Amino acid sequence: MAKKTIDWSPGNWPKLLFRFFTSFKLATIVLALMTVITLFGTLDQVDNGLHAAKVKYFHSFFVIHKLWGFPLLLPGGLLLMLVLFVNMTMGALIKVRKRWKGAGLLISHFGMLMLLAGGFITWAFSTDGYMALYPGMKSNRVESYRNWQLEIMPLDKDGKTEKAWILPSDELQSIRSDEQRTYQTGALPFEIVINGFSQNATPIPVSAPMAAEAEGKEIDGFKLSQQKASKEAEQNLPGCYVEFRPAEGDPIEAILWSGSFRFDPRENPMPFTFEVGDQKYGALLAKKSWTVPFEVKLDEFIFERHPGVSTARNYESRVTRFESDKPDTPLEIKMNEPMRYAGYTFFQESFGPSGSEPGDEMFSQFAVANNPADQWPLWSLVVTSIGLGIHFVIMLVTFTTRSKKAPANAAS
Amino acid sequence: MKFLYTLLIATALFATESLSARELPKSDLDSYEPWDEEVAHTFESLLLQDGGRVKPIYTYARFTLMQFSGKTQAKFQSKDGVDHKLHYAEWLLDVLFRGEVAKDIPTFVVDDSAAVVQIGVSPNEKKRSVYSYNDLVSGRARLAELAGEYAEKQRKYEQSERRDKQYELGRVEGMILTLGQNVSSFEYLIGQFGFARDGQILVNENILPPALIELAAKTSPAEMLREMPMPEMSIDQLVGIIQQPASQNEEERTLQDVFRLYFFFANTSRGINLFPPQESDNEVWLSASDVMLKGLESKDARPWAAEQLQSIETLVDARNESPAAFSAALTTFAKNQHSISDPRGEGLYSELEVKLYRGKYFIYSLYCFVFAFIVMAFSWLTPGSKIGKGLLLAAGGIALFGLGLDAYGITLRSIIRQRPPITNLYDTVLFITGTAVLLGLLIELFTRKGIGTLVAIVSGVFGMFLSIKYEAKEATDTITQLVAVLDTNFWLATHVTIINIGYAAALVAAIIGIVYLVARFVMMMLGRESKDLYRSLTRMNYGVICFCLFFSLVGTVLGGIWANYSWGRFWGWDPKENGALMICLWSLVILHGRMAGWIRDLGVHMNSIILAIITTFSWWGVNNLGVGLHSYGFTEGVWGALYTSWMILGIFMAMGVIIWFSERSQRALKKQEKNANAKAATA
Amino acid sequence: MSLQRLPASAHFLMNSPVAKTALCLLSGTFLLSACTDSGPEGPEIVEQELPSAHRTFKLVETSRERFRYQTRSGAGDAQAGSADSGAPRLVYDTPKGWSEGTKSMMRDINMTFGENGEGECYVARLPGAGGGLAANVNRWRGQMGAEPLTEGEIAALPQKALFGQPASFMSVDGDFTGMGGAGTKSDYRLLGVILSSDAGAVFVKMTGPRALVEANTKAFDQFVGSLDVSTGAPGS
Repeated sequence: MAKKTIDWSPGNWPKLLFRFFTSFKLATIVLALMTVITLFGTLDQVDNGLHAAKVKYFHSFFVIHKLWGFPLLLPGGLLLMLVLFVNMTMGALIKVRKRWKGAGLLISHFGMLMLLAGGFITWAFSTDGYMALYPGMKSNRVESYRNWQLEIMPLDKDGKTEKAWILPSDELQSIRSDEQRTYQTGALPFEIVINGFSQNATPIPVSAPMAAEAEGKEIDGFKLSQQKASKEAEQNLPGCYVEFRPAEGDPIEAILWSGSFRFDPRENPMPFTFEVGDQKYGALLAKKSWTVPFEVKLDEFIFERHPGVSTARNYESRVTRFESDKPDTPLEIKMNEPMRYAGYTFFQESFGPSGSEPGDEMFSQFAVANNPADQWPLWSLVVTSIGLGIHFVIMLVTFTTRSKKAPANAAS
Repeated sequence: MKFLYTLLIATALFATESLSARELPKSDLDSYEPWDEEVAHTFESLLLQDGGRVKPIYTYARFTLMQFSGKTQAKFQSKDGVDHKLHYAEWLLDVLFRGEVAKDIPTFVVDDSAAVVQIGVSPNEKKRSVYSYNDLVSGRARLAELAGEYAEKQRKYEQSERRDKQYELGRVEGMILTLGQNVSSFEYLIGQFGFARDGQILVNENILPPALIELAAKTSPAEMLREMPMPEMSIDQLVGIIQQPASQNEEERTLQDVFRLYFFFANTSRGINLFPPQESDNEVWLSASDVMLKGLESKDARPWAAEQLQSIETLVDARNESPAAFSAALTTFAKNQHSISDPRGEGLYSELEVKLYRGKYFIYSLYCFVFAFIVMAFSWLTPGSKIGKGLLLAAGGIALFGLGLDAYGITLRSIIRQRPPITNLYDTVLFITGTAVLLGLLIELFTRKGIGTLVAIVSGVFGMFLSIKYEAKEATDTITQLVAVLDTNFWLATHVTIINIGYAAALVAAIIGIVYLVARFVMMMLGRESKDLYRSLTRMNYGVICFCLFFSLVGTVLGGIWANYSWGRFWGWDPKENGALMICLWSLVILHGRMAGWIRDLGVHMNSIILAIITTFSWWGVNNLGVGLHSYGFTEGVWGALYTSWMILGIFMAMGVIIWFSERSQRALKKQEKNANAKAATA
Repeated sequence: MSLQRLPASAHFLMNSPVAKTALCLLSGTFLLSACTDSGPEGPEIVEQELPSAHRTFKLVETSRERFRYQTRSGAGDAQAGSADSGAPRLVYDTPKGWSEGTKSMMRDINMTFGENGEGECYVARLPGAGGGLAANVNRWRGQMGAEPLTEGEIAALPQKALFGQPASFMSVDGDFTGMGGAGTKSDYRLLGVILSSDAGAVFVKMTGPRALVEANTKAFDQFVGSLDVSTGAPGS
């Protein structure tokens, strides 16, 4: 009964490491932890909303979860999935003995690896946003659900312009509410100073009783009051104090609030306007946006309800796709039937304004996604199913031959 | 074996107790004249639109009575000592056409007589009892007042952040609220055809001044419409007329009175949408109230509207005349409905739907499983003998028949709504039960150890019981319309079906696990062992877990593909998705833990119970978290049931832990002995 | 696992495409900063040409307009909400044909309208977010027997100004089961405006038979628009 001793000498490390990463024990622990994280992340959604919980538990390396007030440090979903990926690659594909009996499992593990890899690519490289159109409107601009950027544009007297300078959302939204950051670009004759950015805020007039409690400077009769972030991250309306400092002359101060952007696709955004030199400028907190290489026009939006109740039965959009040097393409986008084109997918997501009745003029909202790993899950499923199918056939054959043998053995 | 006898006797006692005629609630009716069979039969074919679809009035009656009384029959004893058991359709006939009788039929179930005392009504002897409308009418005002107050409190509770306990309704308060709602719904039903009863208002008479009641006896809305002097007018204008103070001019005052009465009727006849619309492109059926308002609004619609209202008057008159006349009038009415709805493709399967509910397939299925259980229990008395084997085979056969009934019911439901089997939570109960039973019987087919049959029967009893309880608790139509996103037969048939097969397998695994734990625990207590049984149970469970993994995994990924296909994301960490994922993950934990040597026989079975806890959480729990795209079935009180079930599963887990400890100490003991022996040998 | 197998495995590790992918993924993770779920990345202050459909902006003069505070029309017959002056009070215009119901602990303003007073409109306030916008919208929808809305749909609810702040507006038709006592009332319509902010949540809810509510929709808008908090002397 000699005790197993482990050779800890440095020369043996690669072997130990390999053994660690290929072990079934690691797989079991990671899978069990993943279950725990999934459970906690699900329950957390009740209090903090889906998006916040998703980022905290599943898009993280570590997470601190409070269990009955007691803080627990747990590995986050991202870390677990990475370890699982390595474990599966090394354990189930490389280390495993290659024999016919294991073929099914080998294939199914490969399928699962594809799924994880696809998930990773989606997480890292996909974009998603939306486009909302009233009938007759045409656009190639996709807006983000949650990300806001600062736009500064030169304006003519009618409020028109062709271009804008943009402080990207990653930068803007990383500014804390008590932080000051300064930006400049050669193209603009002034510096831009952000004095605190709030993820969710509302401007309140100083005449309102609530204004007394709001911190922050009063500008043009308003203060920016910071709000608790909403459970539904899409509903946050950020705001910030901003200052424009021209080389000569007094700085211009303003409160910018995302509520000035647009609540309805037909609205034009209302920028804060100021003049430097002879040029009029507008400053606006706008949804981060990007363009797709074609334009989509909503021709007609069709909305039906189940008779006598408000449950939506069907909604679909008739659209035309415009692209330079190509003929215009009319098509339909409806529930379960998206438009896939040029790497982008347009889904019939929702409609509005809510409370509209059939017959009212309504806008149609498309979710617009661009995902390089769009079809990976499908392929992965096919591979995994084939793998598991083969494995179960092998198991069944072994089982039946064994149980046929068993009575014979017993008799002999 | 003794406890088996006790169990059998207990079951038998329970069965006879529930079957024996219990004392029925007393009614103030001197006697009750049952409906003519022909009348009841023709009534069934009436159609109405409710919950977004056209359905037989039969279905509507079923769920309405269920909502009021929790039962599908209204049972009572009239003063002449005769017992009556009214079918729901007969009950609704009474409510609509013999309101004066219906008001004396015990209809409203009250779980605690304290609720009745609070509204100032003298309670029945039993704590839980059924009351008629007339029993409660003396407390009607107080009931409305209290129910209003509690509704407000309830609202406050739901609005408060984190569900403020101080606004939580007490048990009795909740009962009063429900009672208030039911009584009020009942009044609407009684008042439904009030306009056709020549002044017999029956409910809320006190609202109408005597002059108007007199007027109601003389005229009817149909007549009023025909003689309406006004050209078209908006409802606002008309409301304006009646809101003005009483006119001095006699003629104007009469007109005002007519309008007041008309609006009273229009108010009281809302709710049952019996009239298919005139226009072929309109799908929304109308209630008598809608018809009245439409007739007012548009002059063109008046002849049509008058005709519809007249048809109800004809029904009511025919009822007063004779059963034959009433039956004929009902037939005509139904024919008229069908002549419009059939070409439009509405209510095409209404006959099948009546058949579904008349057949009571799910209840009979439950009876089959209970009977199968009894038969199987007898087989345990003579295990291994020919009789025992025969009984076991018979039990399996009966269970198979129960499965057939369940499957038949599911098929009918699918045909009626032209959808794959699962579209809502109730469907999942029927489907998962069926799948679990099938799995059990398949296991039996392969292993022939009686365990598969046991699993099948236990699943069947619990599942069918749950389906019946759930239906009664919800008391709303279970054939529901689908929201737009679910409107895809392909994905409903694939993802939804497959994932539910996975759920079923997980539950079957847990039942096998429980059988194993109980068997081992009992054996341990008796100081015996049955390694063969353990081994085959473990092998079975291992297979079922693999099966569960396959279906959960494929189902989950398919769900993701559907999500990607329909709204552009494969995975969103939505609670329902997470629930399915956890089932896959835990199955994987079991399989890999076994390979790692951490999980052995006992571990597999204990973990299969954890798997069941996860499954019930994602089957019932996540729907009640109130987040995410999937929370399709919000049900109150589910958490209580879930916690109870988890506690029971916890007890089995505890058995496992005890087994584990005792096994370990035994092993330690053996080791010591061995060591001692070895020492002795060397010495 | 034998020792001899290891080098072969290691070799395989370096050369297999699967392993390469894995390595790329591993290194990629650490290089990428916190990834956001939308939009391509970009450097600081960039110039961008605006799409043709998005080149027009609405020029407004004051912050008041820019922050969607409606300028209130004449206070007219505004009524004092509470007797003690100085404390913040609710002021509002009572639309024609509406009558004041009894105030309660939960209802700051309670109005009824319609022939038998079956139309109802009340204003309620709750401290905190009052359970969140989505919960309240879906609770009200539930009372009308309507399916809950998804987050996206709730986010897309139209806005109405309430106390000068954007508040979500909803309208649902269906069978109303909100109040006990009265039971299910069919063919009802519910209009609701919910303002959910940190300072508290304000609810304006109107229910009644559909035709009646339809006729009173303008009055509802007028009423909602007229709501304000006054700290001044009554009648000011």
